[in-house]
Amino acid sequence: MDAIAVGGVTKTYRIGVGRARVREMLPWPADRWMKALFPQWWMRDTFNALEDVTLCVPRGTSLGIVGYNGAGKTTLLRVIAGVTSPSTGTVQVSGRVAALIDVVVGFHPDLTGRENVYLLGAVHGVERRSMATRVDRVFDFAEIGEAADTPLKRYSAGMIARLGFAMITALDVDLLLIDEVLAVGDASFQRECVRWLDEYQGSGGTLVFVSHNLSFVRNMTERVLWLDHGRVAADGPTAETLTLYARATESRDGGSPAHRPSDTRRLMVARGMLRWGAGGARVEQVHVEEGPEDGFLEIAMSYETTALDRAVFCIGFEDESGHEIGAAASPLLSLEGNRGSVRCTIRPLPFRSGIYFPVVAILSPDGSVRDRWRLERAVVIERDGEASIVNDFGPVQIPSVWVGAEARSISGTEDRP
Amino acid sequence: MIRRIWLHRQLVASLMRRQFQLRYRQSLVGVVWALAPPMAILGVGVVVFNKVVGVDTGRVTYSVFALSALVPWTFLANSVILGVPSVAESPHIITRLVFPRAVLPLSMIGVSLLDLTASIVIFAIFAYGLGDGLPLTALWFPLLLFIEIAFVVGVVLFGSALNVFARDVRLAVPLLVQLWLFLTPVMYPLSSVPDGMREWYLLNPMTGMVESFRRILVYGHPPELGVLTGAITGAVLALVIGFSYFRATEARFADVI
Repeated sequence: MDAIAVGGVTKTYRIGVGRARVREMLPWPADRWMKALFPQWWMRDTFNALEDVTLCVPRGTSLGIVGYNGAGKTTLLRVIAGVTSPSTGTVQVSGRVAALIDVVVGFHPDLTGRENVYLLGAVHGVERRSMATRVDRVFDFAEIGEAADTPLKRYSAGMIARLGFAMITALDVDLLLIDEVLAVGDASFQRECVRWLDEYQGSGGTLVFVSHNLSFVRNMTERVLWLDHGRVAADGPTAETLTLYARATESRDGGSPAHRPSDTRRLMVARGMLRWGAGGARVEQVHVEEGPEDGFLEIAMSYETTALDRAVFCIGFEDESGHEIGAAASPLLSLEGNRGSVRCTIRPLPFRSGIYFPVVAILSPDGSVRDRWRLERAVVIERDGEASIVNDFGPVQIPSVWVGAEARSISGTEDRP
Repeated sequence: MIRRIWLHRQLVASLMRRQFQLRYRQSLVGVVWALAPPMAILGVGVVVFNKVVGVDTGRVTYSVFALSALVPWTFLANSVILGVPSVAESPHIITRLVFPRAVLPLSMIGVSLLDLTASIVIFAIFAYGLGDGLPLTALWFPLLLFIEIAFVVGVVLFGSALNVFARDVRLAVPLLVQLWLFLTPVMYPLSSVPDGMREWYLLNPMTGMVESFRRILVYGHPPELGVLTGAITGAVLALVIGFSYFRATEARFADVI
């Protein structure tokens, strides 16, 4: 039994405001007549947010949806939730649905948090009486009990985000649609949410999960759908689709191993997104070379310096969610001239299978960061056949030597005496 | 659609509660504002139509005469003013939650219905204080109110749906309601309208409405079918058009709002 069956769905939106709405306000069947009479006028200023999307989600399973911004992820979620209807195609959803689209929840900023929770319950058909007992649990979950009777407009962004997730814990649902909401909140709250979602899935709930945070997607879903420009680019087991997606992210950045800061990157520097630093020295170009079968990684960077004559070079790695995993630091090197280059080889790579983003940095001898640049190019590591019991314990493989009474390995090395 | 609305009746109740909570929150004199609209119009009526123009209301005190029509009128005006913008004002819930959109305007009509009780109380006070009290024909009230609710629901459903696509509607509403008030015999009797114009007046469903309310509440006559016909026709037409337009367009609200 499928919880969701989406068949050949296309969703067409109109661009712009104002007179384009005239076409929308015609009631059926007048809109059909106008479309037939003036097809060109009718289709002007339109774009397809979704094109021929087909998917089905069996009950009790979980699906992740990934894609670049504007790929149609939220639209797909809205269509499944029934907030908007598809232009063509069919959507069938069975079960009690709750959708958490955006973090901004609630009905009205002037109402208190408690009143907002009651209203959300009313939308989902939970009776006021049975809601009364759940409201306190919602605020306990969100850990904002003291703010229950404060108007929503006085909540901080973090509190609203917490309440938004906590609200769904009060509803009896068996199909949950979540759009990029775990990105907010601190780490401990995120853990609470993940724990709750695990329980929810354990009790047979169906989950559809949209996120840019690939590590969440990896942990929470069995299957992943990759949307690209409104079309299904891939649909399959999580590990497979995510690898395809990460490789595409790689080639999206030009596909070459060489990286030169472009004008857009400079803009990002100004916004503190991918690159920052005190200046005085900067990385000019980075060249990433992956060794055969992920055996090693060679990174060369050319630099330009205006104020430093000695520096420490650093190559660090972040995971998909931007957590810093570790770094390799050079010794204090003296720089000769204004330009030069350094080369670093990491061998063997201490990572398990996954997607990692290199960060290159130049530090002055006193430890201040002069230039720190997170590359958009990902390093994808696939270690086939290395699955072991502890494979999901973090991204780093720690090299180790073990001594003990029965230190004989049971598998793999038995042929060695 | 009706069945889905019925399933969400609890939501209608919650939305009405919200509207009440919100209305008087952060206001200084609160409930006084529920009584203000009929009293303010009554004040204007007393000055302009009673003292300046001097309309003939027969043996009935002018304020009782005017209030008997202000009871149904205020209900219409409140419903339209609250109900028409109600859908377009809630983009964040329309684009995120699934529920029959009609509960938004309907709950606003519900709120106006509660305000109606306030204006009935005022009317009763005036009727017993300045007039002969309520005649027995006041028992027709529920039937007339039923017809008026049907009319109001139709108008508000149509207006609130259209307003999603063209915000002009919301801008036009206060003006239209004001004009409508002057073109409806609320503050003056229908009998003072010249003969050639009276037929036109009866095309206005609210004319039949307020005249009938006035007959049962003040003069002690049962409603006159000839006058009420316009109101009933208007109510049926409004309900059919409003309901079908709302149903035909509600699926697109989330896309254009």
